[in-house]
Amino acid sequence: MSEHPDTRNLLGPYVMGNLEPYEEREVEVHLQGCVSCRQEAQELRLAHERLADLAYSTEAPPEDLEARVMARIPRREAGRRLPIWVAAAAAAFCVLAVLGVFVTPDLFGAGAAATLSPTGRAPDAGGQVSIRGTGENMEMRLEAWGLPACKSEQYYELWLVEGDERVSAGSFTVGQSGRVDVRLNVPRFAGSYPKVGVTAEYDKDPRASDAKMLSGELHEL
Amino acid sequence: MDRVEDEVLVRRVASGDERALSGLYDRYAGLVYGTGMRYLGDRGTAEELVQDVFTSVWKNAAGFDPARASFATWVYRITRNRATDLIRRRKARVRTVDGEPLFEPGETDPSGALSQNFDVAAALSRLTPVHREVLVLAYFHGLSQREISDRTATPLGTVKSRTTAALRALRETMRFDEDRWSADE
Repeated sequence: MSEHPDTRNLLGPYVMGNLEPYEEREVEVHLQGCVSCRQEAQELRLAHERLADLAYSTEAPPEDLEARVMARIPRREAGRRLPIWVAAAAAAFCVLAVLGVFVTPDLFGAGAAATLSPTGRAPDAGGQVSIRGTGENMEMRLEAWGLPACKSEQYYELWLVEGDERVSAGSFTVGQSGRVDVRLNVPRFAGSYPKVGVTAEYDKDPRASDAKMLSGELHEL
Repeated sequence: MDRVEDEVLVRRVASGDERALSGLYDRYAGLVYGTGMRYLGDRGTAEELVQDVFTSVWKNAAGFDPARASFATWVYRITRNRATDLIRRRKARVRTVDGEPLFEPGETDPSGALSQNFDVAAALSRLTPVHREVLVLAYFHGLSQREISDRTATPLGTVKSRTTAALRALRETMRFDEDRWSADE
């Protein structure tokens, strides 16, 4: 049985026919006496056959075809990309300091909300985010408390987050009260992000920081 | 766009997000184009099929109901219907490159093979980047395990165990999808 784990790790290339002849013999000898590995090999073979069928049926389209598809689709007014909106929101605030939050649901029209939990950077902080509206743009409201007051050239930023991808929803500052209540305009599809987050940022550093202050998951209202 | 579910992307498409449409194109255009080449027989018509399918996705995304079917099933139906339209327009009996009769106007995908391919493409898109990479290099680029090892600067033994884990993850994802959609029917 000591050979079992090593042999099991070879079952993928085995069902693909990609093992060296000596390895293939070793696997086959093992399979004769191991029921669980035989079952595993059967399962992997099914995945292999499905994938081989897919690869056989797939062909790379001409490189310029995607551009032609994009040129052909009818434009929508709501189709403006997020960076334009982000830039407009950031310019409007002219801020010194920002927070970061992470929102998570997929909602359009009805709205969504998230409860924000603190990180170790601001253990007494908390907050709520809501997205409401029915038009092409919606209102995103952030209420937060317990945040450290912004120092010079510092601000907080609110983010829409999905996996490793995050998009700014706007920025704001916080005074000595540690409280903030801001409303931001966001496109309808902002609600399709599953998480929101708030980070602390510095005005002179154009890169997004990793200084997470608050985070939460969006839920449909 | 890695690991963002198809159903999330199509909702963004419905709101006018072109980047989301590009994400879906990356996942399915090769299969739609390959389907066109196989069933329609020439590059020009296959390209027309791809343009028709993704234009239709763009126009009709708001009507997509994830409670009724997966995106893979939806885009499969669009592909099949548009291919049938193109065949009907040509008013000619079309054959595959192997000389096998194709599905005729009004005829569905008789063996279910085409539908199955879309489901597998959907499952593949949901694997981790590391698992997807090893399978794409093996199946779509035709690399051996040693070639994958050289290409990715990964020890050969790791490539082999990773390939096994990736196939296992694909199988589990396909089974999850089968259970999910059969339970909803």
